[in-house]
Amino acid sequence: MLRVKRSTIAFYLAPMFIVACLVTLTPILYTVYLSFTNRDTLYHSALNGYDWVWLDNYRKLIFNLNSDLYIVILLTLLYVAVCIALFLALGLACALALNNQKIRWLPFWRVVLIVPWAVPSIITALIWRFIFQNPFGPLNQIAVLLFGPHASYSYLDHPVSAFIAVVVVNLWLSFSPYTIIILGALQSIPQELYEAAAVDGATAWQSFRRITAPLLRPALTPFTILSAIATFQMFNTVFLVTTGGPYASATSRGATEFVMIYFYNKVLGNTAGNAKLGFMSAFSVLLFFILLAATMLTLRATNLLASPEGGNHEVRWWKRLRSRLATVQPAKEVQA
Amino acid sequence: MSDQSVTQPARALGGMETISVTTTRRVAARVARKRRRFSPFLALVYVFLVVMSVFSLFPVYFVIQASLSGTQSLYTTDLHLFPVHPAFSNFTHVLQNPDQLRLLNWIANTFYVTGLATFLGLALSTTGAYALSRFRFRGRQMSLVFLLSLQAFPGLLAVVGFYSILIYLHFYNVVTGVSLTGLALVYSAGTVTFGAWNLRGYFDTIPVELEQAAWVDGATPTQAFFRVALPLASPALAATAMLMFIGMWNEFALANYLLNSNLTGSNLTFAVGIQTLQSDYRTPWGYFAAASVIVSTPLMAVFLYAQRFFKSGLTIGSVKG
Repeated sequence: MLRVKRSTIAFYLAPMFIVACLVTLTPILYTVYLSFTNRDTLYHSALNGYDWVWLDNYRKLIFNLNSDLYIVILLTLLYVAVCIALFLALGLACALALNNQKIRWLPFWRVVLIVPWAVPSIITALIWRFIFQNPFGPLNQIAVLLFGPHASYSYLDHPVSAFIAVVVVNLWLSFSPYTIIILGALQSIPQELYEAAAVDGATAWQSFRRITAPLLRPALTPFTILSAIATFQMFNTVFLVTTGGPYASATSRGATEFVMIYFYNKVLGNTAGNAKLGFMSAFSVLLFFILLAATMLTLRATNLLASPEGGNHEVRWWKRLRSRLATVQPAKEVQA
Repeated sequence: MSDQSVTQPARALGGMETISVTTTRRVAARVARKRRRFSPFLALVYVFLVVMSVFSLFPVYFVIQASLSGTQSLYTTDLHLFPVHPAFSNFTHVLQNPDQLRLLNWIANTFYVTGLATFLGLALSTTGAYALSRFRFRGRQMSLVFLLSLQAFPGLLAVVGFYSILIYLHFYNVVTGVSLTGLALVYSAGTVTFGAWNLRGYFDTIPVELEQAAWVDGATPTQAFFRVALPLASPALAATAMLMFIGMWNEFALANYLLNSNLTGSNLTFAVGIQTLQSDYRTPWGYFAAASVIVSTPLMAVFLYAQRFFKSGLTIGSVKG
């Protein structure tokens, strides 16, 4: 800790907070304001006025069970759950293989498995779109070669296969970082633990259950939560592969239309002529609170706010929230 | 895990100092022989690695393959895993910078936007992170939470607000939409949270005594920051800058909304431009593949070179006690 004049502190902090408030906070507040209005159009002019409608948008969103809000959020959560489970499984399998000293050419395998991470993700999405394409895409060509002409399939035109396709693309994008993170955590586990377990006659599975898994968990939890939040907000990849489709009709919801894509298509995309901007702003604000809650729980779970010297710098409300959460669910120490 | 049983006796023997060199060598040879023996489990691991390698390399291979074959040969239904008549015609066409495929302009624009935004974002967040790590003031914890809550509002959802603020700041032109500088400003503001949190964590690991010593020697706080803290934080600055750069390089949604393409499409960033190639029913896959290869190769080379530092980089943050 350094003791300096207040003016010095302000001098260091001001540029960051001025830009953050002006460029990031103002648009957010503007969106909150719009969510209380019935503005319809994206571009505002004197011709299309709009009124202050209080909480009407929120009422329509929350109490109309047919509204897309619940379906879109549930679909997105399903996507996040499937993706994260597969990331962890595949990442763990790859990391265990790369951590096995009996495998030859380990540096080679390591570089090969890291390649998907190195490809710019914007290009990845477009490549995969071509791979799934019918009939020229390589996947269909190989299928035709192996199983005859009726084996070709428009993967991106059917709801279930399109969903699986975007999961596969995301898996390709994300298993490398998971592998590297898990590998790093595996290599930080002291070798003596395994040797002691081997002396005591533990099988490979037992030492995995009792040593590897419990020691991996604390290293993986923050990364997994952050990656789940990022997947929830995912836009680029899915949009570029399916644009949210396939759509049963022009007005219906697409099979891979996750929250960000839903918002984009409704406000800025093809149906933007009918952008219910006020309504969609209310949608964004609700989404913001969901993500904020997830972020705050992450903070608590990973204890990121703790300053190195500990101390009592915690904000009062934050302390209260923590103690309340602690009484609901007593924190368990990981048994190492 | 199962290799413990193999290496255990060897290690125990090696630890004893009375054992002769020949015995140790014999043990080592036995261990090596045992390693070479066929094990079904190891075979399975190799199969898994091969499958994963095909999975991770196939798309990359296919794009390289497509970039080398002429555009037409991609529209046949007989499968070619190798280009029949390998040619560089796609590359030469793309590098001529034709209208609607202004690859060279796109790359230059992207470098301008991401470079400017990385520089701005890094400058803003470094000073902020330093203050948040070193100084104690009311609302310090609150500032960190505030930055994080800004991040929880995905930029895309506030896009109408961005538009208004950029018009207000005169980064907008009726014909070409938001200027590239305006886009860079939005990007840099968006990376401030990440930068501040990341760098604060690193500053926390640098002993504050170093700067205190500089003070004792007569340095001002600003001198201590520039001459002591910044040089020590340079690895973290480089890592943060790289992650910011990669993130912005791939940003598509905001750029696609904020930038209006002009007639030749020369004012777009790469992410938006390469996507306009695909928006038509007939996509020129050969050109797309060639452009992808040209752009990805240097980025991938840098990334694969830098990956050896990842392992140490990942543990940097966890050193704090």
